[in-house]
Amino acid sequence: MASTGLQHSNPAGSRKAQLFQLRDVYRIYGEEPVAVHALDGVSLDIHAGDFMAIIGPSGSGKSTLLGLLGCLDLPSKGSIKVGPTEITDLDDGERSKLRGNSIGFVFQQFHLIPHLTALGNVATALLYRDLTKSEIHQRALEALSMVGLAERHDHRPVQMSGGEQQRVAIARAIVTEPLMILADEPTGALDTKTAKIVLDIFKNLQDENRAVVLVTHDLEIAEQMDRVVSMRDGKIIADDLRSERTDALEDRFWESASGSKLE
Amino acid sequence: MNWFREILSVAISGLTARKIRTLLIMLGPVLGAAGIVAAVGLNESAKGDVRQTLERLGTNLIVASADGTFSGGEAPTLPEDAVDRAKNVSTVDRVAGITEIGSLTVLPSQGGRDFFRTIPVPVLTSDQNLLEVLDARMLHGRFINGADERNQFRSAVIGHDLASDYQYLPGEIRTIDVNGETYGVVGVIENVDLVPKLDTAVIIPKSSAEEDFDVEQKPTTLYVRATEGNVDSTADALPIAINLGGNEGVTVAVPSDLLEAQGAVDTTLRNILFLMGGLALLVGGVGIANVMSISVIQRSGEIGIRRALGHTKMTIAMQFVLEALFVGVLGGIAGVLAGVGVIYLVSSILGWIATLNIPLFLVAGGMALIVSVIAGLYPAWKAARLEPLETLRLG
Repeated sequence: MASTGLQHSNPAGSRKAQLFQLRDVYRIYGEEPVAVHALDGVSLDIHAGDFMAIIGPSGSGKSTLLGLLGCLDLPSKGSIKVGPTEITDLDDGERSKLRGNSIGFVFQQFHLIPHLTALGNVATALLYRDLTKSEIHQRALEALSMVGLAERHDHRPVQMSGGEQQRVAIARAIVTEPLMILADEPTGALDTKTAKIVLDIFKNLQDENRAVVLVTHDLEIAEQMDRVVSMRDGKIIADDLRSERTDALEDRFWESASGSKLE
Repeated sequence: MNWFREILSVAISGLTARKIRTLLIMLGPVLGAAGIVAAVGLNESAKGDVRQTLERLGTNLIVASADGTFSGGEAPTLPEDAVDRAKNVSTVDRVAGITEIGSLTVLPSQGGRDFFRTIPVPVLTSDQNLLEVLDARMLHGRFINGADERNQFRSAVIGHDLASDYQYLPGEIRTIDVNGETYGVVGVIENVDLVPKLDTAVIIPKSSAEEDFDVEQKPTTLYVRATEGNVDSTADALPIAINLGGNEGVTVAVPSDLLEAQGAVDTTLRNILFLMGGLALLVGGVGIANVMSISVIQRSGEIGIRRALGHTKMTIAMQFVLEALFVGVLGGIAGVLAGVGVIYLVSSILGWIATLNIPLFLVAGGMALIVSVIAGLYPAWKAARLEPLETLRLG
């Protein structure tokens, strides 16, 4: 069932370290009277080890929330803290550094740099960190090993399947050992079998006490997540744990899409 | 240091990944630098042979001629001791005088009367050191010597062009008919660039000229070599020294001045050509800005992911500026080399002496570099301002 009163709940419990904290966050595009309220007073906590899906129909504010969680955007109003750091107080350089150190991104379309090898793509995340060439090489290779692609390190994206490309993207996301992995429809372009492999990799990351946040339309994927945040009209309408969930996620999705509770 | 090395390697990999586009971007600085180098270089090469002649001949030869005051209505002559008077000028190094004999008819005397020149052939006597003063050489044979003078031999030395006209072959025993008197040709002088009239002249001994044509031994022209760096002061002093009074009566000329003027690079033309090359470079710069701006749009995904990975706006901007810098460096070098190639090619076809202006290479290469970097600033700024959220198309 939807729990609209849980917009800033802490379903994971207070024992886990709080990584991200959003309080009363608004993101408004344009000026009144034609302003678009993409996020409308969202509050959310993300803790270490959270394995979370954000679901909701198009236009519900998922992407805007993802952009703010990824420090790729700033709220129009409200507070976003990464650990103790308020990101709205940071300049672009500081925010970039925080993003590089704390967040790993995985995208539906992989977004690998086509002229670089798998190793080169992963190594890109380690640039400008005062690491030696051999350190970068070593760490990138280790990350590729974790996703089972060490032997294909010298292949370019065009020489790899979609699943392999997504695994390279995951290696790129984890190579910096971030606090949180933000994945935007990570299995959207993959077949079921490959999607399962990718999801298993994410589960392993959760075991390392990182937070994994997936934006997805795939309810089968969302069903496997420990925590599901449902959004509608720029608001969080439900945020609960799998163990506490009483209604079918499918019903929840349609509820958020239609704006009314299913009978 | 790592930061710079890494950004450098990112820029290089960005360029090498898209070779055709990189080559297209590079065309601008290549054509601009090549245009500047070739345009100015060809202008200089066209003058190169004249300048080389000048270097060989020297620029210190002064010609002092009588302009009529000394001899009234007669053919103008200088005083008989004009050579000695000229030697009194301390900056004079060497002097030789000639006496032109007017109204003589010259013909090849043996079997070639049809070949006589329609232009009168100058007949003259000269001091025996004439060739030394003019830095001229014999093509073959010998010059008039003391024995010719002492014995009143009818010996003659002729200029290269006259020998050609009369079809004299080297070493052939030939004679020449000077006003009905037969003179034996003992030598042919090579072309004398600074005194072209000697190329068609006949030089005979003073003693023979006096005997055959009743010529007074008063020189009509003096050839003077001044010591180094004293050409102007010597030219000023010579008329006074020769006429021992005012400036009238002696005309002084420095033949190399004319050649020097011919050989001098036309500064206005050079500047125009330089500007045209610069304009080509400017157009190239606009091309770079254009192609790189399109490239930024095409690479927006790459820029977005780099930003998502924590690369700052400045890093992204630097990457593109460095790409432009590389384009400028490589384009500048390639342009200079292409310009040099054009200079050598055209010079070899037209028979010029290829002249390379090394400082110009640095200027052209430097301009290509500067234009490229400036042209790269706008795309770099544009790349840095790209919002990753817009380029990554989330959700």
